Amino acid sequence: MNGNQTKKSHLPPLCLISSGEDSADKGKLLLNQLVRLPQSLPCMVQIREKKLSTKDLLMLALKAREIQLPAGTLLLVNERVDLALAASLDGVHLPENACSAKVLRTLAPKLIYGCSVHSPAALHIAEEAGADYLLFGPVFDTPSKRIYGAPQGLEKLGELCQATSLPVFALGGITPENVSLCMAKGAYGIAALSLFRDTDRLADTIEELYLHLNP
Amino acid sequence: MLSSPFLCVITDEALCPLSLAEKALMGGATMIQLRHKQASGSQLFLWAVEIRKLCKKHQALCIINDRVDIAMASQADGVHLGQQDMPIEAARKLLGKHRIIGVSASSVNEAVQAEKDGADYIGFGHIFPTSSKEKDYSPLGTETLRQAAALLSLPIIAIGGISHENAALLISSGASAVAVISAVSRAPDPSFAAHKLLCAINKSRS
Repeated sequence: MNGNQTKKSHLPPLCLISSGEDSADKGKLLLNQLVRLPQSLPCMVQIREKKLSTKDLLMLALKAREIQLPAGTLLLVNERVDLALAASLDGVHLPENACSAKVLRTLAPKLIYGCSVHSPAALHIAEEAGADYLLFGPVFDTPSKRIYGAPQGLEKLGELCQATSLPVFALGGITPENVSLCMAKGAYGIAALSLFRDTDRLADTIEELYLHLNP
Repeated sequence: MLSSPFLCVITDEALCPLSLAEKALMGGATMIQLRHKQASGSQLFLWAVEIRKLCKKHQALCIINDRVDIAMASQADGVHLGQQDMPIEAARKLLGKHRIIGVSASSVNEAVQAEKDGADYIGFGHIFPTSSKEKDYSPLGTETLRQAAALLSLPIIAIGGISHENAALLISSGASAVAVISAVSRAPDPSFAAHKLLCAINKSRS
């Protein structure tokens, strides 16, 4: 028993990933998104701003932490356990080429560790490392990921969900229309970036998504 | 270890840090700073673990640039923080008082502030023109180094455009150490280059 079962039920089924294209504004879009999250609909929020310096990223994480978030909402940062600890975040999300969750958990046992998984080999590594959840994609076609080739598709999502007992979040080209397709394949939830960019519509978008996540 | 004149070798972005660290340590380097902005977290961690082992064997210090997480995970001796990296206070909370926190300063004011904030050493430069990093300000020169040394009680590691020919001048201007990248990494024989630098530093003391 490594804690996965107890944590699983606490993970919100919806993951908002920051745009990563907001370096000039130092992550202001994310802060605008956070203050517009609808109450009573918790999210996982992944701060992923690779273009920011470590200092600016920490400042953004600290500002994000100060915001009164809906109950159950979890704040994660991409890869950097040091920043998660310094800003009292809830966890880190690890790309496939990050330092192993197993190693990092020895430094910060209470954090949630998510792992990107794009292949069966990566699934094995993530399970061995004791990941709390998995992120898989791109499931559907999405402009930002076209450079990596064709999307992985629903079948591969289904195969991954069959192969693991860990919660799997489907990422890539997610819309309210295709959420139920992902859930039918065994996904635990969905993750998106651009879907949440329009902050005026953010609350409506999340409410709409939740209809399909909890049918 | 930080109080005696010593040599810090910083890894070269374009070369394998492991073989460079090993050669530099064989030449007598007393501190290796792993600095690799392009490398993935898993790669950095593996390098850091190996370089730490090598440093232990040679009784040298292993310092990780920017990544406090990697320094913690690899149990390195400390971190080196630039002005755009994690603030010293936050890093200190994570690392505790026994690990080393070095801070880059490119002016006397920045150096004084870093000392106030609790740094263990100051990386001061660039002193001379350098090709290793893109710089948007002119070299500080040895006079500014003297001013900094007069105001600071922390050890100063001079960096930027340093060779065995000018290293002694930096120690006599108040630096406790010199840090180099290309003077060792791009030398035909990095071990010998490190050795020559150490000889120059030690000569300045006598």
